[in-house]
Amino acid sequence: MASLGGSSSSSTEYIVRVPKNTSKKYSIMAFNSGDKVNCSSWTQARMERDMSNRRMYGVEETEEGAAGSEFGKKQREEARRKKFGIVTREFKVEDQPWILKVNGKAGKRFKGTKKGGVTENASYYIFTQCPDGAFEAFPVNGWYNFVPQAKHRTLTAEEAEEEWGRRNKVVNHFSIMLQRRLREQERGPDDDDEEGEKGGKKKKKKGGRGGDLRIHDLEDDLELSSDESDSSGGEDGDSKPKKKGGDVKGKGKKKKKKRGSDSEANEDSDDGDFEGLEVDYMSDESSSEEEAGEEKAKSNKEAVPKGIDEASESEEESEEEKQNEEEGKEEEEEEEGKKTPVQTKKKRDSSGESDTSEDSDIDGEAASALFMKRTPPKRGGGRGSGGSSRTGSRPGTPSIDSASTSNTLRAAASKLEQGKRHVVGGSSESPAAKRLKMESSSMAVTTQSPAPSGKSTPQPPSGKSTPSSSDVQLTEEAVRRYLIRKPMTTKDLLKKFQTKRTGLSSEQTVNVLAQILKRLNPERKNVNDKMHFYLTE
Amino acid sequence: MSEKGEVDLTGAKQNTGVWLVKVPKYLSQQWAKASGRGEVGKLRIGKNQGKAEVEFTLNEDLTMIDGLGDKPSGVQAPRDHPFTMQTVGGQTLAVFTETQSESSKDRISLEGLVVQRAECRPAASENYMKLKRLQIEELSKPVRLSQQLEKAVTTNYKPVANHSYNLEYDRKKKDEGKRARADKQQVLDMLFSAFEKHQYYNIKDLVDVTKQPVSYLKEILRDIGIYNVKGTHKNTWELKPEYRHYQGGEEEKETDD
Repeated sequence: MASLGGSSSSSTEYIVRVPKNTSKKYSIMAFNSGDKVNCSSWTQARMERDMSNRRMYGVEETEEGAAGSEFGKKQREEARRKKFGIVTREFKVEDQPWILKVNGKAGKRFKGTKKGGVTENASYYIFTQCPDGAFEAFPVNGWYNFVPQAKHRTLTAEEAEEEWGRRNKVVNHFSIMLQRRLREQERGPDDDDEEGEKGGKKKKKKGGRGGDLRIHDLEDDLELSSDESDSSGGEDGDSKPKKKGGDVKGKGKKKKKKRGSDSEANEDSDDGDFEGLEVDYMSDESSSEEEAGEEKAKSNKEAVPKGIDEASESEEESEEEKQNEEEGKEEEEEEEGKKTPVQTKKKRDSSGESDTSEDSDIDGEAASALFMKRTPPKRGGGRGSGGSSRTGSRPGTPSIDSASTSNTLRAAASKLEQGKRHVVGGSSESPAAKRLKMESSSMAVTTQSPAPSGKSTPQPPSGKSTPSSSDVQLTEEAVRRYLIRKPMTTKDLLKKFQTKRTGLSSEQTVNVLAQILKRLNPERKNVNDKMHFYLTE
Repeated sequence: MSEKGEVDLTGAKQNTGVWLVKVPKYLSQQWAKASGRGEVGKLRIGKNQGKAEVEFTLNEDLTMIDGLGDKPSGVQAPRDHPFTMQTVGGQTLAVFTETQSESSKDRISLEGLVVQRAECRPAASENYMKLKRLQIEELSKPVRLSQQLEKAVTTNYKPVANHSYNLEYDRKKKDEGKRARADKQQVLDMLFSAFEKHQYYNIKDLVDVTKQPVSYLKEILRDIGIYNVKGTHKNTWELKPEYRHYQGGEEEKETDD
């Protein structure tokens, strides 16, 4: 170091060295000064690359050697990609962002994204002073901008858009996140209850914009779950605003309405209030959407839940029914009818009540359902079977057409069987139920003891009176005639007795037919995987 | 190698201050040519009436600039470079290093904080102008060039009686010979083991694997497999359901023939 004297200046010279062979790679970690990051206050820090962008080529595509794989699939896929000129950018580890965690789990988190173009036209060097006074210059390899990651809850894009649309109306901004939390909370306890039924829920949603399951959903949900969730939701709602209000006051945020948050959260007029309270689907409007899909199936909606109620209360009854009905169609109906309402009980989505208002059939059914409750249990079985016509084993076939009812009968019966096994069963039952249906309910019937519930109490076949007085053609005679002539499936039979000609509603048709078949006790045989009935007298 | 783990915070704790200096490209190139301990020049820090003045002087031996292709271009790099000092406001800059030594001892350590930013500027001199001119000339050359040829190019494609590649191919075919029908049981074994690896196969691939004539192979396949015409795996063969036993992982159920 040489000191050069000067009149009013003094300077010192330092040697600058650029070390050649360091294994260290220098990078810049840039924080925004607004974040007030003080590196010396960090007690410990962990940093690693954020590998979330790496597409695992093995995992993304189908597993090798597993069922469904093809020979040479990988090469073919690659050739295909090349043909279309799809260029997938390589995943370079050095360009991936960093994740920096300061002070352990409870501390701050930062994400550092690499800044491009740093080393293109000029190079950055870090000059550090060595103990011997010389400077050492190290080239900077990369520049990473670190931003703190929010740990608090944020709105998703959809929610944000919604709120943006209401920004002029909403004064209390705290309620926004509050409602969101409420919503999540409600979803939470519901989900816990229905672990097993989760799949069922999804199935239901899929099946149904017209599907049987969905219908049950609404109805039962309304009746049974609304009470529970209402109370719980209400409590939550109440407690939350209060807590939030407290928080707000404590923090003294900049928003002006912090004092009013309590009252505002409870005000009716507030927009955000009703967001979280999804249980409030009592109103007609909200249920109207669900209505659309279910109109057709409405007819037996009431019936089924009621039937289910019966079933759950008195399992013997339904079982007796099952044993009585040889075809087991009705069993299946019941099963399904009972099962899905049971499922739907737990489900949150609801608009059932409004359903009642829509369809006249429902009213009729409601009446008959109520009536059913008082009558001997067999009635309930019959109702259940009628009810399941709408439930239909096939998702997406809302029509109560006689064609579909037979399938629904079977599905319902099988489901009922399953339902007996696990009253609270999950949707995993439904596929099992369907399989059962395929296998034909004859097993269930002939064995006379639905193994699942094990509560079989045989009951002599009761003479059910034909419900409808106005049947022109749907008599035992007619059915007997058909069955003697040639073997038919239930579907075929139903086709013969179309609702328009007999004047019966589809549900009634189904009921009557079921009873008739029970009385006739035809033989069964399996043709083309379909259960056919026939008589040989 | 993934670098993860604890960050060595000694630099941050000691509040080591470093300078971040922006250096022109040509200068960094010259520095890369430094030999020995890496001395590249001298830094003079002076205080002139309260203002700090920093200047960097490049070593003499590093002033030779290489032109294109590593030959001396006759231009010399300027030697004096005053530093323009700037503040670090608006950003908190920290310096961290990744040490990648052998045997996966990746360590990340925080070296320090940037206390001063500077820009290294060359003093405007004749040398610098020449240097710049050279650079501009190099850059302004187009990447692609159209050049007229005097003679037509005749060396690319010459007619050949038979391409060498073709000859090889024919020879290979002849050596392989026609595919002979092996024992049916053996073929079945081969097929089963093949289907153990993948579920769907193209007939061509199966021929490749088993080295059997196509018709014979097809007969055997008709016995034990089915041909998918539609669906995602179109035109592929797969084993009949009773023969296969996939379970996510693969298990093969061999059946007696």
